[in-house]
Amino acid sequence: MTGPIAQQTAGSNQVQRGRSGSSLADVVDLILEKGLVIDVYARVSLVGIEILTVDVRIVVASVDTYLRFAEAVNRLDIAHDGTSQGLPQFVEGMQESGAKKKTRGALEGAQERLKETFGGDSDDSEEEKQPARRRSSRKKEDEEE
Amino acid sequence: MTTPQPPAAAAPGDRAPQYVYGVIRADAELPADVAGLDDRPVSLVRDGGACAAVVSDLPADRPLGERADLVAHQRVLNALVDAGTVVLPFRFGAALADRDAVEKELLAGNSERLGQVLDGLDGRVELRLKATYVQDEVLGEIMAAEPEIAELSRRLREVPADAADAVYYDRIRLGELIAQAMERRREHDGRVLLDAAAPAAEAFARKTPAREEDVLDASFLVRADRRDRFEQAVDELGRAHGDRIRIRVIGPLPPYDFVPEA
Repeated sequence: MTGPIAQQTAGSNQVQRGRSGSSLADVVDLILEKGLVIDVYARVSLVGIEILTVDVRIVVASVDTYLRFAEAVNRLDIAHDGTSQGLPQFVEGMQESGAKKKTRGALEGAQERLKETFGGDSDDSEEEKQPARRRSSRKKEDEEE
Repeated sequence: MTTPQPPAAAAPGDRAPQYVYGVIRADAELPADVAGLDDRPVSLVRDGGACAAVVSDLPADRPLGERADLVAHQRVLNALVDAGTVVLPFRFGAALADRDAVEKELLAGNSERLGQVLDGLDGRVELRLKATYVQDEVLGEIMAAEPEIAELSRRLREVPADAADAVYYDRIRLGELIAQAMERRREHDGRVLLDAAAPAAEAFARKTPAREEDVLDASFLVRADRRDRFEQAVDELGRAHGDRIRIRVIGPLPPYDFVPEA
């Protein structure tokens, strides 16, 4: 199943289908922000929702995203540079993925938090983004290690 | 919680605060064995009008908002969708003082209006399409097409690891340029995906994508009897763009995105 033909076959239908039940992260914004608001119709209380909404918002700092792209493109350059498929390139790739792991730590931390909270695949983070100074300063510490 | 007026002939359980999941038609049935919040039984409140409210007792001893609460909310509504029952989903967190309040405050006076919304949603499901760039593919495209970015990337690669701090802001700049280039591509690619999927749907709601590498996040209201067509359209998109865009379809979902705003 690893030959190029097999890969092509697998690539012929790339669409992934899933149900909400297995991944709350894919629908949590709908549950919290869409649907009928009943106080339009009746006198009701919305219970606990304010606290929850704050907890849910995983803010991914722009700086983190930018550093992640810079890292990814660096990795890409290396992969495309060498013409040989020999061991040196392989080793270099290993080192890169180590570095990548470190740089992505903060972001993955956030995703894991989301995953912890809601389970399933945490692909969607949050529609709102704010510069998170806390996060970026932590990032610098990471790099100074 | 206010003390409800004692109804004429109420069972003791009728006095408990009620959590409302959604509204269905008065003649519709609940699927068997659907558990609500804290696995409490789900029941219907009817007022003799066109609609029935889907409710369960509200846990009184703790605030709502745990993961399990969201799962329960979604589980109840999904069960209705799976049974082919048209449902008007409520936003998470709606509660009323007791069953009597559900009947008198929510249903009475709103039944007709709620019924009309249900008519509009009948036989339709919500499908959410999320599309994300395959990162290395789109980065490759950007590097090939944008010399400024390729040059900056090349320059930064030559910086030795122990001098990485000195170019910290250059790296941020590089990432920022990449993010901007991605956004320019997204405008075009997102439109292509939307234009291909939308004709197979009755309505769509486009959301702001969460991350730079997200191409499209949109929900579609699709007639159940035309769902094949929609799925086909998405499959074609997968075939055409799957090497550079990862496409996911989530659903069928309760029609959260297609209930009236007010």
